[in-house]
Amino acid sequence: MIGITGHAVYVPRYRIEREKIAAAHGARAVLEGERTAIGFDEDTVTLALEAVQALGLSTCGGLYFASTTAPYVERMNAALLAAACDLPEEVEAADFAHSLRAGTVALLAALDRVTVGGGGPIVVVAADAREAPPESPEEQWFGDGAAAVAIGRENVIAEVKARASVTDDFLDFVRRDKDERITSFASRFTVEGYCRIVGRAIERVLNASGLRSSEIARVILPPVDPKMTVRVATELGFRAEQVQEPFLERVGMVGCATPLFLLSAALEQARPGDRILLVGYGSGADAVVLEATPLIEGYEVHDPIADQLRRGLRFPSYERFRKAREYFRHHDEGPVVSNVFYEKEEVRAIRLLGTECGECGLRQFPPTRICQRCRSTTGLREVSLGRRGEVFTYTVDWLAASPMPPTVLAVVDVEGGGRLYLQMTDIDPSEVRIGMRVRLTLRRLGAGGGLYHYYWKCRPEGGGDG
Amino acid sequence: MAESLKDKVAIIGVGCTKFGELHDRSLSELMTEAALAAYADAGIEPERVEAAWLGTFSPGFGGGKASVTLADALRLYGKPITRVENYCATGTDAFRNACLAVAAGVYEVVLVVGAEKLRDRPVRGLQREGTHPYLEAGSTPPGLFALAANRYFHRFGGDRRTLAKVAVKNHRNGALNPKAHFRMEVTEEQVLAAPIIAYPFGLYDCCPTTDGAAAVVICRGDRARQFREDPVYVKGIGLAVETGWPFFDPTFEYIGFPATVAAAAEAYRMAGIRNPAREISVAEVHDCFTWTEIANYEDLGFCKKGEGRYFIEEGRSALTGDLPVNPSGGLKSFGHPIGASGVRMLTEIVLQLRGQAGARQVKNAEVGLVHNLGGPGSVACVVILGR
Repeated sequence: MIGITGHAVYVPRYRIEREKIAAAHGARAVLEGERTAIGFDEDTVTLALEAVQALGLSTCGGLYFASTTAPYVERMNAALLAAACDLPEEVEAADFAHSLRAGTVALLAALDRVTVGGGGPIVVVAADAREAPPESPEEQWFGDGAAAVAIGRENVIAEVKARASVTDDFLDFVRRDKDERITSFASRFTVEGYCRIVGRAIERVLNASGLRSSEIARVILPPVDPKMTVRVATELGFRAEQVQEPFLERVGMVGCATPLFLLSAALEQARPGDRILLVGYGSGADAVVLEATPLIEGYEVHDPIADQLRRGLRFPSYERFRKAREYFRHHDEGPVVSNVFYEKEEVRAIRLLGTECGECGLRQFPPTRICQRCRSTTGLREVSLGRRGEVFTYTVDWLAASPMPPTVLAVVDVEGGGRLYLQMTDIDPSEVRIGMRVRLTLRRLGAGGGLYHYYWKCRPEGGGDG
Repeated sequence: MAESLKDKVAIIGVGCTKFGELHDRSLSELMTEAALAAYADAGIEPERVEAAWLGTFSPGFGGGKASVTLADALRLYGKPITRVENYCATGTDAFRNACLAVAAGVYEVVLVVGAEKLRDRPVRGLQREGTHPYLEAGSTPPGLFALAANRYFHRFGGDRRTLAKVAVKNHRNGALNPKAHFRMEVTEEQVLAAPIIAYPFGLYDCCPTTDGAAAVVICRGDRARQFREDPVYVKGIGLAVETGWPFFDPTFEYIGFPATVAAAAEAYRMAGIRNPAREISVAEVHDCFTWTEIANYEDLGFCKKGEGRYFIEEGRSALTGDLPVNPSGGLKSFGHPIGASGVRMLTEIVLQLRGQAGARQVKNAEVGLVHNLGGPGSVACVVILGR
């Protein structure tokens, strides 16, 4: 049996009310509620890593990363993710890009890879933080986020029953190599095109599975428009109650991560035997029929969507929301380091490798040849440090250069031993306390010398964080 | 056990510029003014100097980090000059190295200059050079000490009001000192109302960005009275270096600085001091931030760990207290040009021991202490001076 063995989403902490965006332009909100948005230290690699970590896997055979907004255009983003996950070199990594369908294309590739056999489960993670022009409807109804699924043969919670794809060079949203923002062709015409193309993929997958649309418990349709998901579903032959809620009023359209995000939401609610029809759309469509297995009842979601939605921090203004998105486009004066330094220092920091003393057991960071406590020089071994911890002490610093002061700095005692000095992110500074539980999160620290620099920060541990 | 430096070296001349934002003066001018003043105070001609040590953290343009910065300023050519940098303990460590050379009998008369021109730098505050681009990203000097202050409060109690008392005291002392950067008193309310820099430190909890230079002329202890009637003798010096990254040390308690404890122990051993609270009559300690002064009271043995807040609250460190601390106004009010500070603190204690400190003169000053603390509490130097 091949199918989904795990699933998770990551909802970035920052939100902005659509009314706030609309008011900045003297316009009206195209949709109620709020959208999710990246902070200045986030990008699709950092969002993706959060989703992968939320899967709670110890290892995997492959890591497929899908995004239309990956930070690197040349350099494999999945390789950076693999380092941050401290995965071994034999992991098969790949980037999928250039289409809102990239998430389901990666999923289908992972199914193929598992079908061929060998290796561990393949983790497919999709993340997007798309840029739409200011004042456009898309600026309001898009959101940022990530979702991850594990594909494997063991402990399958939703079996893949059938799949189909169609390719169609239809124009709806495009972005050229020289564009920072999408160009939207959205209109009634694009909705009609969506229905036609998705309809063909659904017809094919239902034929392949021998199912009728009424036998589908949940249909996952990536929104093509801020308001028409249900109308589109009806057009495609589904009843309103079959349609997976798209979270547009709380999250927004999260680009190529949408299908996996909504799949995770559907799996959170699914009962054994439920059939889920997953659609990916963009330059054609992918359609996959999955059926929940009895194991779905025992599957523990580490950080359910509802919990993540509760943990929002709102940007105080539209300007802050824009600054967070654009800061590193205009600021490239961060550290300039050599690739020699990167190899020796930074990649080890990203892997979060420390040293454990064989004599006294003290875990220490950065790696050392002599134990800080007992001075032993023998039996020291490299260890991967824990990724949760507790604040030993902190400060809220208004002097440190930052696009969004203050900078919260914390000395964190890491679970399993070791002490780290980390910036704290995704927090209201008035809430920092000694003893606070935190989770490590890889963030973009700066840009310079042709690189984005990533290092660990910490963030408050949410109530539902596994 | 190692030998003691006690009485082997004496300070025979001191000089210090006005401290402040000296926008129209160069590092070279400041070093020259301080050195010429020290020569005059010692009653020597420049030719008498056999070697020199320069303490400067960030010398900027010109000679840059090399010893030529001092050689060119003083036209002191053909002689050994060494530049020392050891975080904020730069000034006292330059002095310490000079003392070791004199005590070894290699030189008889040596010049020590500490100088810094922080306001020539493009960014306000202290830029820590050579810090790790990722592992210390976001670190600032007040932030690094604030980490300790918050942990200390968590452990022993106290709050921003406790810190404000240090600022009020040091500003009061600085107001009496014509060479201080700030010559203004502040109230506890003003201190508490100031903007936060790095919690719990507000603006008045932080030393300013200051330019200045100071110099001392030292000589062999047994020759000191050939130069003047009232030389001040070095009774002991201790320097200790702990980790530069306490925030990665799982055993670091963040309630004080082991470097100060170790440096003080060495200096006290040389000087034969057993009860510092009783035997030291005046101290210039490293109050880069108000809380640091409270930690210093404890680490230097003026009171027990956790009781530093009472030492300030009860007025024991005031000019009229039983152990006046920072009669000059301290780094807080006199200013803190990094490399200059340690040497400047030595000049203050020399003036106090000679009874030449004017309105801020401490009564019965017999034994004085100078303490520098550098990095995130990583490097400490303690000097004991006496008559």
